Amino acid sequence: MLERLGLDGQVVVITGGGTGLGLEMVRHLARAGANLAIAGRRTGPIESAAAEVKALGQDAIAVPTDVGDSAQADRLIAAAVKYFGRIDVLINNAALVSDSAPTPIWEIADADWQAALDVNLSGAFYCSRAVSRSMVEQGKGKIINVASGFGLRGGRDIYMYCCTKGGVIQLTRVLSFSLARYGITANSIVPGFIPTAGTDSDIREALPRSGAYLPTGKLGRPVDIGPVAVFLSSPASDYMTGETFTLDGGGLAGGLAPTGYAPLMSLEP
Amino acid sequence: MPVLPEYSLTGKTAILASAGGADAPLLAQALAEAGAAVFVVTRRQEGLDEVLAAIGSPADGGHDGIAVELDTPAAVSEGLAAFDRRHDRVDILVNDGRSQFAKPFLEIDPEEWDAVQSRNLRAAFLLSQGVGRRMIAQEYGRVVNLISGLAERGMVNGSAYSVSQAGILSLTRSLAVEWGRYNIRVNAIGAGWTSAEDIPVEMQLQEQLVRYIPLRRKGHPRDIGPLLAYLCSEACDYTTGQPVYVDGGLNAHP
Repeated sequence: MLERLGLDGQVVVITGGGTGLGLEMVRHLARAGANLAIAGRRTGPIESAAAEVKALGQDAIAVPTDVGDSAQADRLIAAAVKYFGRIDVLINNAALVSDSAPTPIWEIADADWQAALDVNLSGAFYCSRAVSRSMVEQGKGKIINVASGFGLRGGRDIYMYCCTKGGVIQLTRVLSFSLARYGITANSIVPGFIPTAGTDSDIREALPRSGAYLPTGKLGRPVDIGPVAVFLSSPASDYMTGETFTLDGGGLAGGLAPTGYAPLMSLEP
Repeated sequence: MPVLPEYSLTGKTAILASAGGADAPLLAQALAEAGAAVFVVTRRQEGLDEVLAAIGSPADGGHDGIAVELDTPAAVSEGLAAFDRRHDRVDILVNDGRSQFAKPFLEIDPEEWDAVQSRNLRAAFLLSQGVGRRMIAQEYGRVVNLISGLAERGMVNGSAYSVSQAGILSLTRSLAVEWGRYNIRVNAIGAGWTSAEDIPVEMQLQEQLVRYIPLRRKGHPRDIGPLLAYLCSEACDYTTGQPVYVDGGLNAHP
């Protein structure tokens, strides 16, 4: 039954696929046999990612896209359908990371709030809406939304990231419940702290320097997300929908007491 | 079709303990297919025979097992002694703690209540202690607990069973936090309404319960086999303390 973890020729559209966790997902998906449409705002990283996919023997196109603009989201989906003939999996991964630098609420401008909503939440909605019709017609499809542990817990002075990622988790649930009857599943990946390459320097500034406070005692590595993305893209996850798949070093399992707090209490008489 | 080597369990040894239900043979198959040597613990000999029939006898597969009720530390020691006669190291522990029970709350005998908690939760507690000691010493381990979505929700007549499932979920979170530093990962797979039989979907849909499931069919152990292999793998390094529900969308149901 493990052969269902393969992606033989499946077509995956991924946003934010040129850098960070997106790039690592691209690499694993291609190794598992997927063909990819890779979207991102900057051309260089997505073309380089597409070249990597081709070097692995799979097919790929790079589609420069700002998913916060619904017309561009529509064009991304249309370009992928035109080139590959169909889309099996959509991974909504694009997110503004710069806004996760903690900022007191009174210093957040309307434009900053709106920009994060546009990309992180509306972008996932626009791409899901654009792909839904063709997935309904083919009677199958998978939508994967990359959320965050910040979508489930609060972060001090991290307004936009927490609110939009919480919205992404709810979008996943509504998509799953609404589209199940058409054979379409939707799930969220919930990463905790996973430092990525220097390109994401803004978010790195906001991240802890070590994972000492986590139950695992270490931060995640970008490669950790790869097998999860492949599983959720593959037929092996066909019966899973509306769910979250968390990789966070155990942070969400605890959290009521600081790391290292280990009380001893005898039974009361 | 390429399957990533990250999902492989080659060279690993797994203990699969089943409190009941019909999923154990296919769960064992998933572990064996991924390359693990499997040691099965069931409450009854019948159940053990079924699982070993599915993955091959000790003579041809390296798979083996024992039928023992895991309700005391001595019983766990007996099970682990049998394990030690075949293997020298345990990398993976899979607890399927889903022996089902449903009855109106006011009619449940204390003995029935205790039996449900013992089979499902006490067995998981005792076996996790026995195996966890070894995993801590070797600073490596993967533990996966199979539970029901009733760990999170209430259901009429489901009190005793739901309490046992919520207990295992809570144990999952606690051990993940307590053992994280020892390179031990502890997760759960939450199943929905399942059947290990292959019933045609049209026939399933005659049942109101099945029409309530967003994906409109019951789950099958095959639906969780590949996920089980991943959660038992070395590649599953940053996910811990989490339930992963594979339930046809029930958790998103209003």
